[in-house]
Amino acid sequence: MSYLEYTVKSVPAGPRKVLYLNWALILLVIAVAGIGALMLYSVAGGSFSPWAEPQIKRFAVGLALMLIIAMVPIWFWRSISGAAYLVSLILLVLVEVMGSVGMGAQRWIDLGFVRLQPSELTKFTLVMALAAYYDWLPGPRTSRPIWVLLPILVILLPTLLVLQQPDLGTALLLLIGGAMVMFLAGVHWSYFAGVVALAGGGITAVLQSRGTEWQLLKDYQFRRIDTFLDPSTDPLGAGYHITQSKIALGSGGWTGRGFMQGTQSRLNFLPEKHTDFIFTTLAEEFGFLGGASLLGLYVLILVFCIVSGVSNRDRFSSLLILGVGATFFLYFAVNMSMVMGLAPVVGVPLPLVSYGGSAMLVLMLAFGLVQSAHVHRPR
Amino acid sequence: MIRTPLRPLARILRARDRGESPDAIEHENIRRRQEDMRDRTRERAEGRLLVLAAMFLCAFVVIGGRMGMLAASVPEEPRASSQGAEIRAQRADIVDRRGRILATNLETFALYAQPPQMIDPGNAARELARIFPDLDEERLLGDFTGKRKFLWIKKKISPEQKQAVHDIGEPGLLFGAREMRLYPNGKLASHVMGGTRFGREGVRAAEVVGVAGVEKYFDEVLLDPANGSRALTLSLDLTVQAATERVLAGGMKLMNARGAAAVLMDVRTGEVISLASLPDFDPNDRPRLPPSTGAADSPLFNRAVQGVYELGSTFKIFTAAQAMDLGIATPDTMINTAGPLRWGKYSIRDFRNYGSELTLDKVIVKSSNIGTARVAQEIGAERQQDFFRDLGFFDPTSLELVEAAGIKPLLPSKWSELSTMTVSYGHGLSASPLHLAAGYATVANGGRRVVPTLLKRDAPQDGPRVMSEATSANARRMLRRVVTEGTASFGDVPGYAVGGKTGTADKPLETGRGYHEDKVIATFASIFPAHDPRYVLVVTLDEPVETSGPEPRRTAGWTAVPVAAEIIGRIAPLLGLRPDVEPGQLADITLTSN
Repeated sequence: MSYLEYTVKSVPAGPRKVLYLNWALILLVIAVAGIGALMLYSVAGGSFSPWAEPQIKRFAVGLALMLIIAMVPIWFWRSISGAAYLVSLILLVLVEVMGSVGMGAQRWIDLGFVRLQPSELTKFTLVMALAAYYDWLPGPRTSRPIWVLLPILVILLPTLLVLQQPDLGTALLLLIGGAMVMFLAGVHWSYFAGVVALAGGGITAVLQSRGTEWQLLKDYQFRRIDTFLDPSTDPLGAGYHITQSKIALGSGGWTGRGFMQGTQSRLNFLPEKHTDFIFTTLAEEFGFLGGASLLGLYVLILVFCIVSGVSNRDRFSSLLILGVGATFFLYFAVNMSMVMGLAPVVGVPLPLVSYGGSAMLVLMLAFGLVQSAHVHRPR
Repeated sequence: MIRTPLRPLARILRARDRGESPDAIEHENIRRRQEDMRDRTRERAEGRLLVLAAMFLCAFVVIGGRMGMLAASVPEEPRASSQGAEIRAQRADIVDRRGRILATNLETFALYAQPPQMIDPGNAARELARIFPDLDEERLLGDFTGKRKFLWIKKKISPEQKQAVHDIGEPGLLFGAREMRLYPNGKLASHVMGGTRFGREGVRAAEVVGVAGVEKYFDEVLLDPANGSRALTLSLDLTVQAATERVLAGGMKLMNARGAAAVLMDVRTGEVISLASLPDFDPNDRPRLPPSTGAADSPLFNRAVQGVYELGSTFKIFTAAQAMDLGIATPDTMINTAGPLRWGKYSIRDFRNYGSELTLDKVIVKSSNIGTARVAQEIGAERQQDFFRDLGFFDPTSLELVEAAGIKPLLPSKWSELSTMTVSYGHGLSASPLHLAAGYATVANGGRRVVPTLLKRDAPQDGPRVMSEATSANARRMLRRVVTEGTASFGDVPGYAVGGKTGTADKPLETGRGYHEDKVIATFASIFPAHDPRYVLVVTLDEPVETSGPEPRRTAGWTAVPVAAEIIGRIAPLLGLRPDVEPGQLADITLTSN
């Protein structure tokens, strides 16, 4: 049901909009980012440089952008969602071309204060495009094959481009995030069951073929899969990160070693300690209590997103909020599973905590959209 | 789906009757239908959300549970070499029988580059070319600025070189720890050690795998983490090995030989105390390919184990021993040595004419081909084959070297009576010096079969009996007399009672048919002390020529024997043997005086 059919009169206008923001969500985001800054300060050995300071600055910029986006009516954002999706696709191609022409691989575009990774941006423009699509699509057509094929293409196009970079983690996040929006939009469940069955069957066939005459992969490729799935077989090679981060979590125990007392992360045992593996620092210094608290904050953010999304009667807004929430969930769930050895190591940052401008900024923009949808919801 | 009509006729008619607008009914119905649809969509969306929320919840529970599990776990450092790891580092050491290091590991570093991380590729290439003069600056620069994301620069660098590279300060140049196999004694026992190369290698470690010798034979044992760092103890004695090689090298030069081999073996335990083959090589820097002159001239070729030669008259003692064991003859039995002995179109001759008759003892001492052949005729082909089979000449030795496995003596294709006769004095059957040493050990140790081994043993082998004690004793006395009054008179080392038998065999032509006139394989197989043998030493020289006399001399008595005597004189004290007066000679003297 499209927005214009509602009465727009009851939507707040002017500076009064500030009062209608989802302040709980904003406070939660600030709290998580605060924890992130604290950890970056600790990882650097009690210093704002080189990570904490730029991270705080970027967060401030992100917060401002979020508020600005929140003030702009949601129908404006809906009208440009197709364009935003196309722009991010073009950026992805551009990065690909530039990367192969220039020196080495390049995944980002320099904006001056931040290096923007188009693949990060795509995560949310994809959600926007899908939400807009299902807002436009009349309900009864949702599950017709031809109308299911289109969003699949919309998802696959950027996924393949990102896979080309190669960035397996982001590609998987795009794929699953997009599928979640389709699921929420009400596409018939048999499509999902079909895809899952096909993928499962394919993987089983490949693994079963090992050692038989019709082996589908070479032996060394199977060995790589083995180490990828179970890094503990190679504790000093591929499993190094995992082994070290498990040690960090174990040495943190229930209450942790205390702020700035972590040895595992501070003594450089852990590569990527300020980016993808920052959770280990938190877990070592604040223990299970600290880790569980951060998880709790994430859960609260997700809950607020769901509540806001469910209570929004506008289809675009609702799908957008839930889609952003689902992507946010994927971020931290995959990162935490990876750090704790539940999932293979794919480069996925811990949202709002890991050092890195792009991911943080794009996430703030996405929360801006969520706020805009919240403020301008039909009442 | 059955839809309710938007304009139900009954209501419209009724409304018309009442004068109301029928369109209002239609509008209301449209509104209702839309609300229905919206409700259905909402219901479905909420259902979907519920499913998703359940999934989220599961994920949270799993993550939280895992966090708790890890928090409760005791942190454990990963082991340096865990079982099943991709690359197994830590190869065990190899030591000699007294625990002296023969092979160990050295920490070195491999140098590699990750060009994408480089700050100043030009400077890096220039500095690297300065530190390693063999590297080409242009090519390095090409590699660093090209598409490659990773490349090896040097596989092994020294700590000084590592520091120098470190000082360049280039973050794209990285080091990987490497374990390098080191043979601190250089060329010593090179053919036993064999050598190693890098197997699978990663950035952090490289697997060292054996390519030859014991390194390859015991590859699995040396790499097995279950053995810990327990060293592999060989039967070799480092000092004896060194003395053997040294003297053999000097002898080879003096006798102008192309190559030489020596095997020293304990007659009871079968332990190989030293094993030398010349020319040799440095296992730290193993030569790659055999030279073009042929594999048998390669320094990598182990003459003592892989070299299969006709070993000539050294075989006569086996024939004599079998004849005595079978009761065909005693040392004093007279044997017809009138020659030449004609057999078909062949005739068997002696080096000199020894008259018409000799005792069996003298046949060995003087080394009469005719006499030995006549004895062999008595023994017959079948019994002769059985005897040689018992002595181990029909199979490869089980020595713990990869090279030994494929080396089987070359036997006559058809064991005719002529073959029986020629084999009896060591022609028509080719065997390695190691095979010969094992055969002599049996003759010397009282008649029991021994299998040569490179692993340290504590007890005699007590293999199956091949001949009686008495036969063995008689054979030993004959061997001793070969030295005291026969062809090996240069072999006497006062105090060590050397016994042995010489063998000089013409080298076969490369074409395979016929023999060289002036190229021989000279062999001396010796045991010492002859009255209570402890060791057997086989020395083989390839194409020796002794030129101190008016004519070049090639027979073993002039070439292999003096070299062997010099080796025995040097190593006997190292082996703990003391110069001794022979009890046998005393007994003889006593008997005579009576």
